[in-house]
Amino acid sequence: MSIDTTSDVAAPGSSRPIRVLLADDEAMIRSALAALLRLEGDIEVIAECSDGEQAVAAAERLHPDICLLDLEMPGLDGVQVAERLRRTVTARCVVVTRHARPGVLRRALAAGVAGFLPKSRDAKEVAAVIRRVAAGARYVDPEIAADALSDERCPLTDRERDVLRVGRQGQTTAQIARELSLAPGTVRNHVSAVLAKLSVPTRQQAVLMALERGWI
Amino acid sequence: MTAPADAPTVEAASSPAVSRGTARAVTATWWYTVVALVLFELTVVLVWAATLLQAGLDRGVVLAVLVGGLVWILSTAPLLRAYRHGGGDATALDWRSTLVPLVVATAYGVTVWSLSGLWVLLILPLAQSLQLLHWPRFVRARMVLAVTALLAGVLVVDVATAFSEPPLSAHEDPYVAGVFSVLLPLTTVLSLWWWDVLMVLDRARVSEARLAATQERLAVATDVHDLQGHHLQVIALQLELAERLLPDDRDAALHQLRAARLSVDEARQGTRDLATRFRTVPLPDELANARDLLRAAGLTVEAVIDVDADTAPASVFGPVIRETTTNVLRHGGGRRARLALTRLDDEWRYEISNDVPAPLPPATAPSPGDAGAPPERTRQGTGLEGTATRAGDVGGSMEVRAAENDFTVIVTVPAEAAAGGPR
Repeated sequence: MSIDTTSDVAAPGSSRPIRVLLADDEAMIRSALAALLRLEGDIEVIAECSDGEQAVAAAERLHPDICLLDLEMPGLDGVQVAERLRRTVTARCVVVTRHARPGVLRRALAAGVAGFLPKSRDAKEVAAVIRRVAAGARYVDPEIAADALSDERCPLTDRERDVLRVGRQGQTTAQIARELSLAPGTVRNHVSAVLAKLSVPTRQQAVLMALERGWI
Repeated sequence: MTAPADAPTVEAASSPAVSRGTARAVTATWWYTVVALVLFELTVVLVWAATLLQAGLDRGVVLAVLVGGLVWILSTAPLLRAYRHGGGDATALDWRSTLVPLVVATAYGVTVWSLSGLWVLLILPLAQSLQLLHWPRFVRARMVLAVTALLAGVLVVDVATAFSEPPLSAHEDPYVAGVFSVLLPLTTVLSLWWWDVLMVLDRARVSEARLAATQERLAVATDVHDLQGHHLQVIALQLELAERLLPDDRDAALHQLRAARLSVDEARQGTRDLATRFRTVPLPDELANARDLLRAAGLTVEAVIDVDADTAPASVFGPVIRETTTNVLRHGGGRRARLALTRLDDEWRYEISNDVPAPLPPATAPSPGDAGAPPERTRQGTGLEGTATRAGDVGGSMEVRAAENDFTVIVTVPAEAAAGGPR
């Protein structure tokens, strides 16, 4: 790791500042947060990006210690950026969101995101989380965790989810059957089981519902 | 705030369990309809076979009528299947599942007609199979009347011709089989009509549930509007006051600015409370979510969830699970975790352990110059102290064991707390 860490969590004023990359498509929030973080003595904002692609490029060029990523960005979202960066740079990622959709925390943790907090936290708290994550710890906001724990459980079986996932672009039953090496009749049975469980009339609606709730 | 009594309405609208129950009832009704239809068809075939046998026709002919009849009844199965799945969906007209059964019906009609010379048997199979297609309502009504009239007419012809000559004239009563045949299409259409009515009712039920959910959402929207309107007004006044005070009394102005930030916080918390008002999941689901999250975080998780876990006191264990899971998630270094909610005789026992010695202090630990920050709000009433209090309130207890490579929290609550406590 390139981060120079002291053993303690909060270490303001220690040897060298934490280099932070900031990515948020909302310019007002991004610049205000950057200005507030710069007021913290031990944090240096080295890049401000307005979308995911830019964030990936800048992170690969500048090798920051921490990437503070907005979840909702056009193109790549915060978790996807973290997923990409995980393979190329040592930076640790913190994701912020206004509204954590179901399943997103699970996806973020699986992508190796080290911090997750709501946008409503003020800059002082964000700075504290940055310090903590830079020191090697992980931080999941209690509010986000509470939301994730009260997610509705997916009533579908793995096979039924496969059928929806493969068919999410509107593929025909025959295409889904070929992709999953199933008989078309079996696929049709899975689809009618899904429609009954979710009580929606069409496969498209089932796909939308499953995407919205983070089931596929 | 709306009374909690409103909650079940929304639950019912969105709960998959409820819709699964009615889906099962709908399926049962469908099979009832199918069995009735197949039995009608079988009765007609058997009655004709008996009639021809009594009339002294060759046994081979009777056997052909019987076997051909069974093949024809089997061929109506795809039509019935298409009828069920094609309801309201025009794309379901598949030539294989439609044309093949119609050809089989025609072939059966032609065969038995050539063997017996009865016109009514030529028309009946195709007439019946056609009723099983998904026709528009007015087409179906006219068709079934026309077919019934045609069958009646043909029967009269048959009685006048085939039944007045040998060998069929030996059979004195052609009317039982005849009446069954004439009425078969009409009975079929009435059964299918009954099924259609049921489907309309089922759709109405679904729409009603959606409507209830929508109305609840509108009510929430109104609440959000009121709440935010109120807070925005307060904040505007506090900021205006700060602006006025700034030139003369900086301290008072600063005080107003801090008050405005607190108002923002209150508004945010209030909005969140409104949005999450109905977000309650059963305890087993919450535990399963916890297990999935910890696994996603790269831990090896062992979870033991009692089969009756949904009867455990959710008002105590819900916050406990949230707090302890969040703690485990926060420790970066953990490799494994164990979750268990079990029933021991007359108490519920929740245990969570992981291989990190002790929880780290909260991220928002005060740092120098922190005087202006709003007070801790997220941890208010939570935390392990809160957990202990909550368990104590219902006569339970909390135990924390911190060993070198193991941190365990155990919460036990008497089982009777489940009955009295709010869910």
